[in-house]
Amino acid sequence: MADYSNHNRGQEDEEDEEDIDETGYKTIKDAVLFAIDVSSTMLTKPPQQDSKKADRDTPTIAALKCAYSLMQQRIISNPNDMMGILLFGTEKSRFQDESTSSRGLSYPHCYLLTDLDVPGARDIKRLRDLVNDEDEANQLLRPSNDPVSMANVLFCANQIFTTKAPNFSSRRLFLVTDNDTPHNDDKALRSAAAVRAKDLYDLGVDIIYSAIPSDPDAPAPVTKASRASASGDGLTLLQSLLSNINSRSAPRRALFSNMAFEIGPGLKISIKGYIIIKRQEPARSSYVYTGGERPQLAVGSSTLQAEDTARSVEKVEIRKAYKFGGETVSFTPEEIAEIKSFGDPVLRIIGFKPLSMLPIWANYRPSTFIYPSEEDIIGSTRVFSALQQKLLKDQKMGLAWYIPRRNATPTLAAVIPGAERLDDDGVQVMPPGLWIHVLPFADDVRQIPDTSVVQAPDVLVDRMRMVVQQLQLPKAVYDPKKYPNPSLQWFYRILQALALEEDMPEKPDDKTLPRYRQIDKRAGEYVLDWGAELEEQYEIWKMANAGRHTATGATKRGSAAAGESGKRTKTVAEATSKSSDMISDEEMRKAFETNKINKLTVAVLKAWCKQKGIKLPTAAKKGDVVDEVTSHFENKMVL
Amino acid sequence: MAQKEATVYIVDLGKSMGEKHNGREISDLDWALTYIWDKITTTISNERKTAMLAVVGLRTDGTLNALDNSDEDAYEHITVFKELGQALMPDVRRLKQQLVPSNTDVGDAISALVVAIHMITTVTKKLAYTRKIILVTNGNGSVDADGLDAITSKCKEDGIELVILGVDFDDPEYGVKEDNKNAVKDLVEECNGLYGTLGFAIDEMVIPRMKTVRPVHSYRGYLTLGDPENYDTAMAIDVERYPRIMVAKAPSASQFVVRPNMAPGETQSQFAPSDEDLKPSDLAAVKNARTYQVPDEEAPGGKRDVEQDELSRGFNYGSTVVPIEEADKNVTDFESKQGMDIIGFVVKDQYERYLDMSKTNVIIAQRTNEKAIMALSSFIRALYELDTYAVARLVPKDGKSPTMVLLAPSVDADAECLFEVELPFAEDLRSYRFPALDKIVTVSGKELKQHRFLPGDDLMDAMSDYVDAMDLSTFGEDDEGNPSEYATIEETFSPALHRVSQVIRSRAIWPDEKLPPVPEILVKYSNPPQELINNAKASLKAIATAGDVKKVQPKSKSKKGRRDVPKPLSGLDVTALLSAQGGTVKISPQNAVPEFRQLLDRGSHEDVESAFQQLGKIVRDLIRNSVGGSGYARALEATRVMREEATDLEVPDHYNEWMKKLKTEILKEELNGDRKDMWFMIRANRMGLIQSKECGASGAGVGEDEAKEFLSVRLSI
Repeated sequence: MADYSNHNRGQEDEEDEEDIDETGYKTIKDAVLFAIDVSSTMLTKPPQQDSKKADRDTPTIAALKCAYSLMQQRIISNPNDMMGILLFGTEKSRFQDESTSSRGLSYPHCYLLTDLDVPGARDIKRLRDLVNDEDEANQLLRPSNDPVSMANVLFCANQIFTTKAPNFSSRRLFLVTDNDTPHNDDKALRSAAAVRAKDLYDLGVDIIYSAIPSDPDAPAPVTKASRASASGDGLTLLQSLLSNINSRSAPRRALFSNMAFEIGPGLKISIKGYIIIKRQEPARSSYVYTGGERPQLAVGSSTLQAEDTARSVEKVEIRKAYKFGGETVSFTPEEIAEIKSFGDPVLRIIGFKPLSMLPIWANYRPSTFIYPSEEDIIGSTRVFSALQQKLLKDQKMGLAWYIPRRNATPTLAAVIPGAERLDDDGVQVMPPGLWIHVLPFADDVRQIPDTSVVQAPDVLVDRMRMVVQQLQLPKAVYDPKKYPNPSLQWFYRILQALALEEDMPEKPDDKTLPRYRQIDKRAGEYVLDWGAELEEQYEIWKMANAGRHTATGATKRGSAAAGESGKRTKTVAEATSKSSDMISDEEMRKAFETNKINKLTVAVLKAWCKQKGIKLPTAAKKGDVVDEVTSHFENKMVL
Repeated sequence: MAQKEATVYIVDLGKSMGEKHNGREISDLDWALTYIWDKITTTISNERKTAMLAVVGLRTDGTLNALDNSDEDAYEHITVFKELGQALMPDVRRLKQQLVPSNTDVGDAISALVVAIHMITTVTKKLAYTRKIILVTNGNGSVDADGLDAITSKCKEDGIELVILGVDFDDPEYGVKEDNKNAVKDLVEECNGLYGTLGFAIDEMVIPRMKTVRPVHSYRGYLTLGDPENYDTAMAIDVERYPRIMVAKAPSASQFVVRPNMAPGETQSQFAPSDEDLKPSDLAAVKNARTYQVPDEEAPGGKRDVEQDELSRGFNYGSTVVPIEEADKNVTDFESKQGMDIIGFVVKDQYERYLDMSKTNVIIAQRTNEKAIMALSSFIRALYELDTYAVARLVPKDGKSPTMVLLAPSVDADAECLFEVELPFAEDLRSYRFPALDKIVTVSGKELKQHRFLPGDDLMDAMSDYVDAMDLSTFGEDDEGNPSEYATIEETFSPALHRVSQVIRSRAIWPDEKLPPVPEILVKYSNPPQELINNAKASLKAIATAGDVKKVQPKSKSKKGRRDVPKPLSGLDVTALLSAQGGTVKISPQNAVPEFRQLLDRGSHEDVESAFQQLGKIVRDLIRNSVGGSGYARALEATRVMREEATDLEVPDHYNEWMKKLKTEILKEELNGDRKDMWFMIRANRMGLIQSKECGASGAGVGEDEAKEFLSVRLSI
């Protein structure tokens, strides 16, 4: 349980060397405690409505269902985060480590359903039973006759946070009740509750009050959640609660805080950086020991050893050296530091360019979102805003020298403006700000392989244009929200089924597959036209280029580009790969003369050798084949 | 597989090369050697057996070469110092001794070339090699122009590239024999080689060289539109995919440990490293040894070692561990079939560049398939004309996870291709929300257009002028001197990569010298160009005035010993309720952090001191009473709160004195046993002493070094 956050050994050298100051002070974990009111009004079913979508559940059950599905979600998306559920106003009382029978009276009418912890399969199953089994629910969800003291409820929550989630960066208490004036007639109880609320505040716990409108006609605060639930326009209470909770996912942490953003010499503002886009990978598998009662996680630890003597080595003894010419070249730690250092962390503008000067291929990692911060430099926000608005308006970008952390590798970056994007309900889906889009260096750019250009004639392009125009995505943009990662979803579906002993799903739900029927319906005819045109144009091209490309043209029958009319599509497509590995003698000779034999693929080379009757060992490597072909020509030249 | 290389360096070591010219501080030879060493070390750093090089000395005192015979003197004063082969560090050390000026100026450059050609031919035969001869000379030795024709034809026949670099060849003052120059020039021109001055070559040297990598395809299959399996109307084009961006990494350091020196006489048979005398420093490689443990209450320390083969694979589902049987190990794999399937098309202008995910690739039609090339060309051109990108689902190989990619057309005279950019999935986006930057929305829903967070018109105008003045799109110069884009990607080189490689090579050749300075070209783009800044000065100043940015003074953040008490929306005065108690307040361990803060809120000097003392004691008790590490997290939280408050209230001593005592108590095991793990947590979470730079307080003197020293495990004075 210990959290030595910086104790990750065995990482790549480079990462190890970079200063990890982004971890910050606290463990980056979130703890959420639901406190759900169990009162008679909370247990009243909403009036029956004709609409199928209308709420059927009591507010308490709805809140539990919400907690249940949130737990399922977060167990996957935030596997280290804690969750707990506290019912209050119940007839029964239960707290940590107290059995139900002993009627622990420290917090009367508070029932700790799930203690604050990383939830496991058992917790989920229990919650599932509770929300699905009315009898079980009726037994537990019985309101007490005496009113519950809010001071008690809050102090109970305080103790849960203090003992179970100390030093968490985010601790949140979701209070779900329909009573927005508890202890209305008892000033002493009210004051006591206020004191306990202040305690929670001083402990650093956020209290989020989820109001359930007791009177549908009462004016409610204009948040999206409550509006939706009040109007009953199809969004159920459960969904509105969920969206309310999800929307409160605060930026978990800044990638960097108060970094200097130097807009010009002498003009610095401070910014924070956030990771908004990052590839979500499936959980890594771990080692499990199954020899015990329950499967247990084996924790690996590594020690450094000298390779020759297996003596264990302390970190201070380690010297860094580079391999060079069969030996090592070493530097003192001070020298290593000097080599790595290109100055303090900074984002420094060196000028501006039109956005169109950013080549589409100039990328290798996700961009970082930045937003101004007033903590270090007052006025940062207004200057940042002026820059963002100007860049947006003129569609320009900044070019910047960028060192994200101490001793991090310096890069150049495009500073791209991002406009605020709202969905149809006016809820923000993309925040306004700037993005640091790291650019590759010349060293990182690979050349495009040489190819011969066979330009498609305009008639053929026209046909293709018709195809393209039929198949625009909605609003002509790519909306990532519509495409969940199919392999990630499948992984978690299976994991959940295994953990909860549910039935295994048979087929993945893959939203990334093209909608073949639509494509056929909308563009099918045009593709056929294009296919026919391609046949024709290719024949014409072959005639015109017959002189130069005799051999190629002749062996190239039935080539790849499919899409022709009729049922031939498939066969034609398959016939291609064979013939394409063939290469004419002329081409090979040309390759030999221009010293480009090694640019050809092994398949092509081998096919050619076979045709020429040159024997190759079965396990011939490319170098061997190249040598064989080369010597074939060399020998022939001698003759 | 990179091309095999054979390069012969011919270095003029004549007596005259030892002289200094043209105001240089080093001799002509040393100057020439900066070039030679640069080339040689670059080759060595590739660590390839097939990158062969040889070094031949010209105008040496002695003679050593395969062509020398007693009958003629043509090949005298030519010494082969290193035969053609891979060069390693011992060669470098030896060559450094050998490449010094001789006592003679006799020796023929053309003969040296013949020696070099002979060496290359002997070793490389007719195999595929890149053959090269590099001759560096000051050109005042003899050049026997007889038989040049034979040399040129041989060079041409074997494909040997000839590079001749002259010291100050371009300087008319300098006494290069005009005949020699012409002879050499003709020779080089005949062989399609290069002829230039050393100065130019050394200037070129600062431009980092880039490794070229042979493209290897990462997908070969169809680009499809529709489903060819089930529909007759599907399109399929043979394509290949190659990497466009691959980050070139700097060489990485390996970890070593100094071998312990063993006293003579000690038994060391099993330890004695065999090739020790070859290594200048006795470094042993370091490896990672991994062990696995599971919790076991009965085992000492609560943990038990398990062997790796007792373990199976599994995953965490929350706190539940789900083992996966060996037989089911593929159960979580997503089945996928190779393919690049077009989903639909999007408008170019609406694509937000910040969605770019990962390394980009290039898609071309199958290289020897003209019909596919024509088909893809029509696709590329159609996209291009419509200002449209395609979105596709890519599975590079059967069984790999699908990714979504954007396909962007690129139309060029000599290449048509698609660039492929990876797109995010739904799970890859986090929805963090931030307030708008062009308006302020108040709690009541009102929109403000004027606010201290919003720029006024003067600031907007100044920023606009500045951005326009700092335009880089025409600040650069192309080859013909016309205005063009400044700092294109082709002109920028990775500072980390080239710096590391520079210092390694420098250290290898001159082990005793200090690190060379960072080459200018690597940091050229770390600052805006001066000329541009000069033009933008006025608007920059206007931004500073209108923006009125001020550094927050550490002083003004804090209020020595006072806190601002937050006011709840209800207006209820909770502090009044709390402080009604009066007298000294006792902090209860159960509710320590809130009560500590509330005590500080009362603000009197005694209260503050008492608060720190009480919480300090509670932390110690938490550690003392902790079963294993159970109480450490709470102790750490309280420690953090104390540290924050002490910094904020500018009373660092309250914290620092306590922390010093705590460290002593932990390390001396005075808190009920071994509590070192607690100390590691304090360290890992940087809960050390408050430094004076963190805290605005004057004179609260803990310097950076003292703070750093404090965090070490040793108990210092």
